[in-house]
Amino acid sequence: MRQRRRIPNLGGARAVILHRPHPVVAAITRQLAAIGLVFCDVWPELPAEALGADFVFFDADLGFDEQFPWTPGEAPMPLVALIGSEAPGRVEWAMSHRADSHLVKGTVSAGVYSALLIAKRSFEERHRLAREVAALTERIGERQTIVRAVMALARDGIGEAQAYAQLRALAMSWQMTLEAAAGRVVALGAGEGEGRDDRSHRA
Amino acid sequence: MSDPLDIGVLFSRSGGYTLLADEAHAGVMAGIASVNEDPALDVELRAIERDPEGRADAYAARCEDILRNSGARHIFGCTTSWSRKEVIPVLERRGAMLWYTAPYEGFEANDRVVYLHACPNQHLVPLLAYALPRFGRRAFLVGSNYIWGWEVNRLARDIVSDASGEVLGERYLPIGDVDVGRLIAEVRATRPDFVLNNLIGPSSYAFIRAYAALGAGDPDFRAERRPILSCNLTEAELSALDGAGEGHLSVGPYFRDAGAHAPSLGGAICRSSYYAAAFSAVRIFADAVRSIGDASPDAVARCATARRYDTPMGPIAIDPQTQHASLPVRIGQIRGAGFEVLQVSDAPVAPDPYLSRYDPHALVTRPALRVVP
Repeated sequence: MRQRRRIPNLGGARAVILHRPHPVVAAITRQLAAIGLVFCDVWPELPAEALGADFVFFDADLGFDEQFPWTPGEAPMPLVALIGSEAPGRVEWAMSHRADSHLVKGTVSAGVYSALLIAKRSFEERHRLAREVAALTERIGERQTIVRAVMALARDGIGEAQAYAQLRALAMSWQMTLEAAAGRVVALGAGEGEGRDDRSHRA
Repeated sequence: MSDPLDIGVLFSRSGGYTLLADEAHAGVMAGIASVNEDPALDVELRAIERDPEGRADAYAARCEDILRNSGARHIFGCTTSWSRKEVIPVLERRGAMLWYTAPYEGFEANDRVVYLHACPNQHLVPLLAYALPRFGRRAFLVGSNYIWGWEVNRLARDIVSDASGEVLGERYLPIGDVDVGRLIAEVRATRPDFVLNNLIGPSSYAFIRAYAALGAGDPDFRAERRPILSCNLTEAELSALDGAGEGHLSVGPYFRDAGAHAPSLGGAICRSSYYAAAFSAVRIFADAVRSIGDASPDAVARCATARRYDTPMGPIAIDPQTQHASLPVRIGQIRGAGFEVLQVSDAPVAPDPYLSRYDPHALVTRPALRVVP
């Protein structure tokens, strides 16, 4: 069973609405005030302070890349797209900014609270997955290091299976990942190898 | 005097929660009578009534019927959250206003609704703040299987956990189901310090009666030892409990014996908080209409949220941002046919429907309530 999450308290969170003056802004700010957020609306550019916001609502109808102080898709906070025109080009543009949720402009007398919750969760989940993918990619990249470490340990006359078990035991006792432990074993092995070579020279 | 002003009255006079709906209906009718008799107001109200018969699916159509076939632009009605959510799209489409006078689970602030009864920071939070230090932190949660039960119990889980407490069980019954044997058996087996009851109507009455029977056989389950806590139990339902509610606790903005506050709005004796909130809603509405000479919903809401009102519940104001009322909070204990008020807030408690000002640390040190001598 998935662990139940507690209801996030949005009181005091900061929201920026990137939209020209329009009734939709009043409809959103009314709800943001009721929910307890601190907010401002700006147009046409997001000021630098927006980087500290907890949420950014942006206009999918008239928006353009240069409004944002970040590369499309790399917003450091959850984004909510405000969609009026459902023209595919505009929806695609909103998606290129990785909107985490959206509101359709015609019906915004409610919906802001769920848009905030969904955006927050999607954003967190997306970043968690990105971190997980990065970690997995790094581990895949270290496959060769593990093979070298197992071979180095097996050199002492133990079998492959036992060498692998030994590597795992080392990782545990060093309190690091298998890949990091393999890296250390390889490095130590290289050092010892050089030492051995030196000794053989002396002999 | 001009022509009567139509207002919609939309309560279920039959179905699964008639005691509550009848109570609010009586409050609205008493409010209309008091407005019509009040020479100072010069407003005559005419009720346009429709009965959704306890069927959630009937609310939107009945509401539409009122708005289409009369001059009414304001609806006084709805008891359950389910029914309120059914009528909101109709209100939005027609620019009408609902005056909602039942306690609810919060997390809503629709500009087509004025909320005149308690939301969680005015019922659940102070009720648990009262009970946790007195009875213990091991809770059992029961509820009717719809949004009120789910959401209030969900909040209760967070609050109990903030107080380092434990939820021993959480069980739901379909609305109207009176088969409470399993719930009672689980409560008996887990021996919680209190039961939070979010059942409604006959399910709630059956549970409270069965719990009293349990307590009669085992003193460890008497109300003074392990009480049932309810966020919406009022005088209106005590008759259905046959005395089984004695000693259990509830919370609300008003109880009938809630002190000597003399209501100046029409001077009615209010029977319960449902009645008081419904009565107050009509009086506040009429006062706004008289002031601005206009019944258009947005203008009425603007006027009503700019004033303070002396109501049978006490002095209240309606917050313009959320259109929820600030309300007194009273903790009541069932005594005979009424409630004895154990604590009352020093001042009206401002509404916080999204619990955005909820502070877990204030749970243990709540200075806002004082003991009633």
